[in-house]
Amino acid sequence: MKSGTKPRREGGRIPSISHSRRLATAMLALTILGPMFALAQVPPRFYWQSLSGANAVPVIFQSLSGNANPMDPAYVISPDVSGSVDANVAIVGYAKMLPLFDRTLTLAVLEPMGRISGDAIVDGRSFSQDATGFGDPMIELGINLIGPKAMKSIPDLLRYEPKLSLNAIVDIAFPIGEYDNDQVLNLGQNRWYGRVGAPIVWQIGPWVPGRRTTLEVLPSVWFFSDNNDYSGGRTLSTDPMFQLEAHLTRDFTEHFWGSLDSTWMAGGESSIDGAGLDSLNNLGVGLTLGYQINDNISLTAGYMATVNDSDPGDLQMDGFRISFTYGWHKIVEGQKRLKAAE
Amino acid sequence: MKTKFTLIAAIAGALALTTAIAQSASPSGPATGKRPNIVIILGDDLGYSDMGCFGSEIKTPNLDSLAKAGLRCTQFYTSASCSPTRSMLLSGVDTHLNGLGNMDEWAAPNQWGVDGYEGYLNNRVTTLPQVLKDAGYHTYMVGKWHMGKSPDKIPAARGFERDFALLDGAGSYWDMANFTAANPRSTFTEDGRYLKSLPKDYYATKTYTDKIISHIEANRGDGKPFFAYVSHQAPHDPYHLPRNWRNRHVGQYDKGWDVVRKERLQRQIEMGIVPKGTELAERMWFLPDATLLAPAARAIMGKKMELYAGMVENMDHHVGRLIDYLKKIGEYDNTIFIVFGDNGAEGADLFKMIAGTPGTRNFLFASMEWSQTHPNAWGDPHTYVGYGPMWAQVSMTPFSHYKGLMGEGGIRNGLIVSGPIVKQAPGTINRSVMHVADIMPTLLEVAGASYPKTVNGQEPPPLIGKSWVKMLAGEAESPRSEQDYLAWEIFGNRAVRQGDWKLRWQYKPYGTEEWELFNLATDLAERHDLAAQHPEKVKTLLALWDDYVRANNVILPSRVLWEGQAKQLPDRYPVVDGYPPLLYQKQFIPPPNMLADPKP
Repeated sequence: MKSGTKPRREGGRIPSISHSRRLATAMLALTILGPMFALAQVPPRFYWQSLSGANAVPVIFQSLSGNANPMDPAYVISPDVSGSVDANVAIVGYAKMLPLFDRTLTLAVLEPMGRISGDAIVDGRSFSQDATGFGDPMIELGINLIGPKAMKSIPDLLRYEPKLSLNAIVDIAFPIGEYDNDQVLNLGQNRWYGRVGAPIVWQIGPWVPGRRTTLEVLPSVWFFSDNNDYSGGRTLSTDPMFQLEAHLTRDFTEHFWGSLDSTWMAGGESSIDGAGLDSLNNLGVGLTLGYQINDNISLTAGYMATVNDSDPGDLQMDGFRISFTYGWHKIVEGQKRLKAAE
Repeated sequence: MKTKFTLIAAIAGALALTTAIAQSASPSGPATGKRPNIVIILGDDLGYSDMGCFGSEIKTPNLDSLAKAGLRCTQFYTSASCSPTRSMLLSGVDTHLNGLGNMDEWAAPNQWGVDGYEGYLNNRVTTLPQVLKDAGYHTYMVGKWHMGKSPDKIPAARGFERDFALLDGAGSYWDMANFTAANPRSTFTEDGRYLKSLPKDYYATKTYTDKIISHIEANRGDGKPFFAYVSHQAPHDPYHLPRNWRNRHVGQYDKGWDVVRKERLQRQIEMGIVPKGTELAERMWFLPDATLLAPAARAIMGKKMELYAGMVENMDHHVGRLIDYLKKIGEYDNTIFIVFGDNGAEGADLFKMIAGTPGTRNFLFASMEWSQTHPNAWGDPHTYVGYGPMWAQVSMTPFSHYKGLMGEGGIRNGLIVSGPIVKQAPGTINRSVMHVADIMPTLLEVAGASYPKTVNGQEPPPLIGKSWVKMLAGEAESPRSEQDYLAWEIFGNRAVRQGDWKLRWQYKPYGTEEWELFNLATDLAERHDLAAQHPEKVKTLLALWDDYVRANNVILPSRVLWEGQAKQLPDRYPVVDGYPPLLYQKQFIPPPNMLADPKP
């Protein structure tokens, strides 16, 4: 776990405030997309319900490149300085499904960790920053409002069809991740943030493995508190930001599926010490392939990139994501043990 | 191809004409007055207790409405298998003489080439539609035929003016898919021509109903009565069903087969279908007590029954469409309805028999065409679901056994008769012994027709049935006397019934391979073999059996489908509810005031 700023060319000095602002502007733009690539962008089919009592440990690895920091909502690399950021982030989590008044309650915690490095050329000078360690942990609380009742038995699971399901989720990130106020590239963000959202899963056609099709939409609003120790003690403020994720998923076989993904973010105008930056209006598109390896393990691999990024000042980012999820339930595991003993 | 079909059709037409001329020797001519229309609704593998009016929880309001207006008959018999029943329905002649001495699919080597065992309705018999047509009826047929596929054997050649027929014994409800590599496509005919494809939006039960209505509609108003044979494929497996019919009983059958059987029996007693005190037949010895199964197992097996119930309800819905149509055109009140299932409910795993084992061509075929096995897909094309012996026993409540076997569950079925020939109080329950072969003489009498003295230049085999007309009119208790008897043989299993006594012989492991004697007046479930106590009755019934064998050229098969089953199934022991107690004992809960923590 370390963080530091080191000059790559012509000595080491932190970019001037104007340069930092320009950097912050670009990175803030990416911050809006940042959750898409980092914490907030969940894989397709994430909000399908499962058997009450089921447990899951997701491990998500992301490799991202762009002109902003995907982990920091205020770090900007101005396009006219040709900044770039690379991030290799892993997110490990735990999720459990429980029944609550016959509805499915989902509790999840996600912890990001990894390495970020960024380049910036300001006034002909290039600087490199990097940060490693743990980011801000996030918890998610979700409950199904419309859709099948909580699945309390395997027969319920056998009969599960989402049809039209609507959940309500609340995410809260705790500002305890690695943070160094001497630099603008950090894994932690030194402020509270979170979102409220309403994931919707709409089953299209039959719910038969090999033929399942879903349209999944997640509208959400992100909220940020101020970071009062931002890059040298300044104050970073960010307005609420609207995000809309959408996935059109389709089975190819019983265990293999694909998804067309998109995410759009708007708003979230930030300011540093009262100086406003641009608000966001970014669209990313991508695709995901998923495979259920066995009863316990599923795998997804995806790619996403910004598309409205042709202007020099636009956010440019793309990233690969691979996720493993290990799930288990004591009934299923018990049956396996008995079968193995036969 | 077109030329070939034209030629086939010409041959079929010529044969039909020849047959018609040969058979028209002795019609008695149309009776005076407006003769009733006749609709026979046949449910394929429909069980005795599957209609609401016979005690089912399955909702069949349209069939029930026929029962409410007419008569329910509780001692109606068929063969234990389908095409033999159909052959007796349409010929009135015993199966061993009419060509279906055995099912075509299971004919034994010693039966090959023997008259009466051709595997199709042979040309020595005439048919009900042929005689009715000669007597001035329009004759229409839709649905399953299963009595021959070549041009001289199809419905158009056997007396039906119009048809839309599945010639095979079963198949997809959605398309032309059939079950084996050798017979991958079902064969259909429409009005005597073999179909190259099926109509758009084809679904068997719906399309059959559409077609029969269109047949009736086409000739409506010409003054002639019609005979409509609605031979539904439903509810025979595979349970193919539109999605909106699949989820009408979700979770209802998770309670298990024994509970549902008890509930049905209770309703049957309350309705008067069976007498008070009737026992349930023993659960088949190889079936578990459902209460001991895990919820998931019960749910999966229950879902099969949910689907079956949907099949029956969907069929009832389409029967309702036909009823509504007849009411709309003013013909309902002048229409006789005869409704029944063709044999006991299906307890065998037909798909397993068909698909075979890995490495066989049928297994490969099933892998390609019939391998959609997920429960959520059940009902779709390419799925094959049957509900198994546990639910077949439910369908045959309160009887023992099911299709193919000689227990009452194999051969007895619920019968509804309604219409102008029924002159008893609406909703009456009749308990006289009746047989599917009775329908031919009954309807000939209704139509004012008579059985021809020659068929194709030869004297036809005798009708074995008895007309119901007097009984339906309330002028007789029963179409049979106490001396009349019925006898059965299929797949080597055999039985004979006279009065309340029934003698039964079945292959192991389902039977003892000894003659067993039951008194059906007191033992509908055939639990108590009385052969040792009543040797004189055994002797009497054996003499009748011998008489039946001689009169009908019964040739017991040298090979049977029961071969090897004693080794495949568990050893047979009596099934006693609650045994062994070990599996049923519950947690002991001590008195609360005697609870204590361990002492240090």
